[in-house]
Amino acid sequence: MTHQTDGELILLWTVPALLLIWASAFVLFPGFVQPMSPTLSAEEVAAFYRDPDNLPRIRYSMIVFNWFCVGLIPVLALVMMQMRRMAHRTPIFSYCLLGCATGGPTLFLVANLFWLLAAFRPDRDPELIQMFNDLAWVTFTGQVGFLVGQSAFLALAIYLDRQERPVFSTWVAHFNVVIALALMPAAFFALSLEGALAWDGSLSFWLKNSAVALWIAVMGLVLGQNIYRQRRAAALAA
Amino acid sequence: MNSTPYAPAAPRPTGSPLQRIGWHLQNNPKRELWIAFFTMIVFYNLYGIIFFGVARVQPPPDPNWDVATIAQWFDDHRTGLLGGFAVTFIAVGMTVASNALIAYSMFRMSVSRAFAYAYIALYSLSAIPGLLLTCIALTVGAMRPERDPEQLAWLYDFAFMAFDGTMGVFLIGSLIWMLAIFLDKNRVFPRWFGYLNLCNALTEVVVAPAWLFTDRAFAWEGAITWWINMVVFIIYTGAFITLLRNMILREDFGTGPLPALEKAGHG
Repeated sequence: MTHQTDGELILLWTVPALLLIWASAFVLFPGFVQPMSPTLSAEEVAAFYRDPDNLPRIRYSMIVFNWFCVGLIPVLALVMMQMRRMAHRTPIFSYCLLGCATGGPTLFLVANLFWLLAAFRPDRDPELIQMFNDLAWVTFTGQVGFLVGQSAFLALAIYLDRQERPVFSTWVAHFNVVIALALMPAAFFALSLEGALAWDGSLSFWLKNSAVALWIAVMGLVLGQNIYRQRRAAALAA
Repeated sequence: MNSTPYAPAAPRPTGSPLQRIGWHLQNNPKRELWIAFFTMIVFYNLYGIIFFGVARVQPPPDPNWDVATIAQWFDDHRTGLLGGFAVTFIAVGMTVASNALIAYSMFRMSVSRAFAYAYIALYSLSAIPGLLLTCIALTVGAMRPERDPEQLAWLYDFAFMAFDGTMGVFLIGSLIWMLAIFLDKNRVFPRWFGYLNLCNALTEVVVAPAWLFTDRAFAWEGAITWWINMVVFIIYTGAFITLLRNMILREDFGTGPLPALEKAGHG
């Protein structure tokens, strides 16, 4: 049983391109480099959006995220293809991954819409701008469930892949467990507007977003190794 | 054929629950299905505890309240809303296991794989408007006590109408499952559960008037819109959990080697 692998390399090489695009948009958005504090008053939030230096950067960075935040879905489909090669009796973990792959990026897209709405008419009542800004940050920061699920189900799938040469090494499963744990505190961000848990804090912002970036980079590398190894083996067999 | 290190003759342990779970994770040929099953059980328990006990958003409050009462409701529920939904934000990842298991049941039926894939797509989508937007809107409302009460009232409507008023994904999803059960010749699920799927689909029709009325039986907390729905939902969920469990118990993977693995990439 072999499956078609044509085109997988193109999808794989979107990973570095995506990381570059995401990093650029991240730096461009003035609310990320120095993450916006949740303690800002409605007036201060409105002033952030009205600032002529900020407004175009907010809009352009969020348009870029709007284009590319779902760009990870094809890469997650590649991870799913690797899961199908594992020594499992059912394809159930790959269905779980498919569910997570549709949820995670879509929530990022919803957050992005709220940010763009806040920036759409900055002369709106500051209270309303603050509400859109809150909706964006709450959606962006707290919605880690599908990302945690993704790492957890991937780790389980790897642990249960019992064969001579498992598809992924066991350390990839351990790595995914660590990432899942690192993402969890961000769900509790709303319990505090200040400190490590707040949406601009070390746990909810820096730890969580670093974990996401690290996951993409590391999974991109091990995925690449697998895909290239598979292609070499297929070329030898041909 | 690759052989597997799986040990078919391993005796069932009789030790502590943890030892038994460990044994099953190592040796039970149906472990993948059981993991998905118990993930689903944990999710529905958490969901019930959080929505009814911690955040106390079910049964839902009154859609007819004035803005001052709504602001007061947010004040009274603040800690439960923020804490309960924080757990929900993580737990929502577990819903994919339930969807995967239900999709698996359809793969076992004598129908096109399109049914299972349609179900995964529909129900993966459903969690966002039907569950998360509710939690997001109420978190935004609860996190700033000083927010303008008019906005709190808007967030309140947004939250409860997203929860009740997200209808199509559940409507079509239940009909897909119903159709698969009626067409299935393998008798994976009994026919009566097909009819129960129809009942669940009809509750999504019954709930539609909540978009038209803010009081009495058809309002979002009304006798028809909420109570009948909740009774059907509880019976439906209880039934499919039992039937999925029976399906897993009936599955016969044997204890032999795994299906042939792809050779490419292993040399």
